Amino acid sequence: MDVLRTLFTLMIFPGGLFILFNGMVYEWADRKLVARLQNRVGPRWFQPLADMLKLLAKEEVVPASVDARLFIGLPVIALAGVLTAALYLPIAGLPPAYGFPGDLIVTVYMLSLLTLCTGIAGANTNNRFSLVGATRTLTQLFSYEAPFMLAMLGPAVAAGSWQIGEVMAYAAGHPVILTQPVGFVIALIGLMGKLEMRPFDAPEAETEIVAGAMTEYSGRGLALFYLGRYVELIAGLTLVAAFYLGGIQNPLDYFVKTLALLLVLVGLQTLMTRLRIDQTVGLWWRYGTLLVLLQWFVTLLLRS
Amino acid sequence: MSTDGNLSGKRFIVPIGPQHPALKEPGHFSFTVDGEIVTDASVRLGYAHRGIEKATESRNWTQSLYLLERICGICSHVHALAYCLGVEKLAGVEVPPRAQAIRVLVAELERIHSHFLWLGVAAHEAGFDTLFMYTWRDRETVMDILEALTGNRVNYSANVLGGVKFDVTPEIGDTIRRGLEFLEGRTHHYLEVVTTDQVFLQRTRGVGVMSLEQAETLGVVGPTARASGMIRDIRVEAPYAAYADYPVQPVLAEAGDLEARFIVRIKELFESYRIIRQILDTLPVGELQTRMPRRVKAGETVSRVEAPRGELFYFIKSNGTDNPERVKVRTPTLCNMASVLVTAVGHQLADMPMILAGIDPCFSCNDRTVIVADADGAAYTWEQIRHHGIAFYQGK
Repeated sequence: MDVLRTLFTLMIFPGGLFILFNGMVYEWADRKLVARLQNRVGPRWFQPLADMLKLLAKEEVVPASVDARLFIGLPVIALAGVLTAALYLPIAGLPPAYGFPGDLIVTVYMLSLLTLCTGIAGANTNNRFSLVGATRTLTQLFSYEAPFMLAMLGPAVAAGSWQIGEVMAYAAGHPVILTQPVGFVIALIGLMGKLEMRPFDAPEAETEIVAGAMTEYSGRGLALFYLGRYVELIAGLTLVAAFYLGGIQNPLDYFVKTLALLLVLVGLQTLMTRLRIDQTVGLWWRYGTLLVLLQWFVTLLLRS
Repeated sequence: MSTDGNLSGKRFIVPIGPQHPALKEPGHFSFTVDGEIVTDASVRLGYAHRGIEKATESRNWTQSLYLLERICGICSHVHALAYCLGVEKLAGVEVPPRAQAIRVLVAELERIHSHFLWLGVAAHEAGFDTLFMYTWRDRETVMDILEALTGNRVNYSANVLGGVKFDVTPEIGDTIRRGLEFLEGRTHHYLEVVTTDQVFLQRTRGVGVMSLEQAETLGVVGPTARASGMIRDIRVEAPYAAYADYPVQPVLAEAGDLEARFIVRIKELFESYRIIRQILDTLPVGELQTRMPRRVKAGETVSRVEAPRGELFYFIKSNGTDNPERVKVRTPTLCNMASVLVTAVGHQLADMPMILAGIDPCFSCNDRTVIVADADGAAYTWEQIRHHGIAFYQGK
């Protein structure tokens, strides 16, 4: 029975299938809302699913100049990474499927794996757009990763634990968004950087470098990278909601809070112009990192 | 200009085009980059050459008008206008003032639709899709006006040799006024957006700066020149059609950067609104067409009009028959293209689409023949290449 239960947790709920579908629905909501705000019609509700089915069914073209094992393996690693991260999160408002002291660090690292794989995937090919895109992806990774991580650790420091479940329990009793407002903003904007949403979509700026690191990908590989991004959207929203919006106690709580955050992301995406990569790095290191460090010191001082 | 096999060498060239999402028409740009900084740029044009100039020689004067109107899908009216003005000058025909005023009216409506289109495209290149979608939605207003006025959204076919095809009734005048009122409000909003949105300004202010000296050396035209403080406006310098009766105030900016080009184009919209209203208020009474001879007297002439993108130049030569001997077209994009290559150097790769969009390029209009040369480098004449072609295919 235990094996069956584990398999169910990993493959169907809350990991695996559920989170994939959840991700597609949120992706649709994101695209649809941005479209409506931009005075467009936007995609139909099953569009992300249709895209995935089509891509998965298509032939995967492996370019001549790449290391084929890496080319095929990277999307799998990327998706596996974010799916693993999701297991430690209160997906759908249920308690995390797994947990151990320090799982927060593991989760945040697993969430970066997608970006890292994207960067390596781009650098693996010989395509100029991919190479420029990979450089930008990795440059951007180094700019938002540190502040995002610090923003995630802020509530953990206040809670005195690096286990997601315990931080959540602390967040449920304390208004973290009020005590650490800077951390909340940085975490949310860092999430946009992670997901390469506008204004941080320089790594895949279509008018400059086509699809960036993803240019050579088609079929299955591209589908897996997309799925990875959908799962990361869910994981990121859950993490921010759990830490800053008073924890996640039940399914209703989960959907209300994550969708509210998604709405904020939609608004920001609609309002912003794409930043150049140097502007992104400048923004994060000149303001983001310094502000979140300041927040950290304040948190530490108040705690002791 | 090699674009391959340079990965291990010092030069890393990013090819933009001939097929690329940033380009709506085929063109090829090679940007040599050092990291993200562009150190060299080159362009290759001619992918969309259609041989229209040559085709006019086997059509009569009236048929050529319809052909030339199809050079550009955006500024179709100015092509027909430049051609008509030239041919009418050759034939010594006086066009009634009402027709000339209607020609200017359509030309200004076309400028509005072209500038709105450009605003959207430029915003899209910068990654500001919201502005893109909104401007293109509002552009529908002027497209609807053009359709109501002429029956067509794109190739309005307003001109005939010796006049215009349709009249502006008071009812249609009211439709235009209502549309302009809406557009004017929106234009004020867009002017505010491009001059105050901090994130957007980061992408336009101080980017792609072209000084007045550079602009004069490179011979740029139209809004691109005016954004560098150079008065280059045929409507002002050599008024044609009815522009002498409806004088234009040239819109100038000093900065020469992308922001200045946004400001110049948007402020030109206000000027267009003003002229259109003035024409509607004081439309001369009279005929719409005069009689045009089928054959045009032998001679040659030059005709220039201000297209939305800058000076449009036509050279027309007649040999006294009912076909043109030669029609030569030079579109503003060709004059402005060199400025892209000069201003690109030193900027980031991310700025390239915007700098390119800054001149409002129109590729298929500016594409012209390639020089076909034999192995010795001697160019073929038209007759020689025709014989070569026949011999080549007979040998197959």
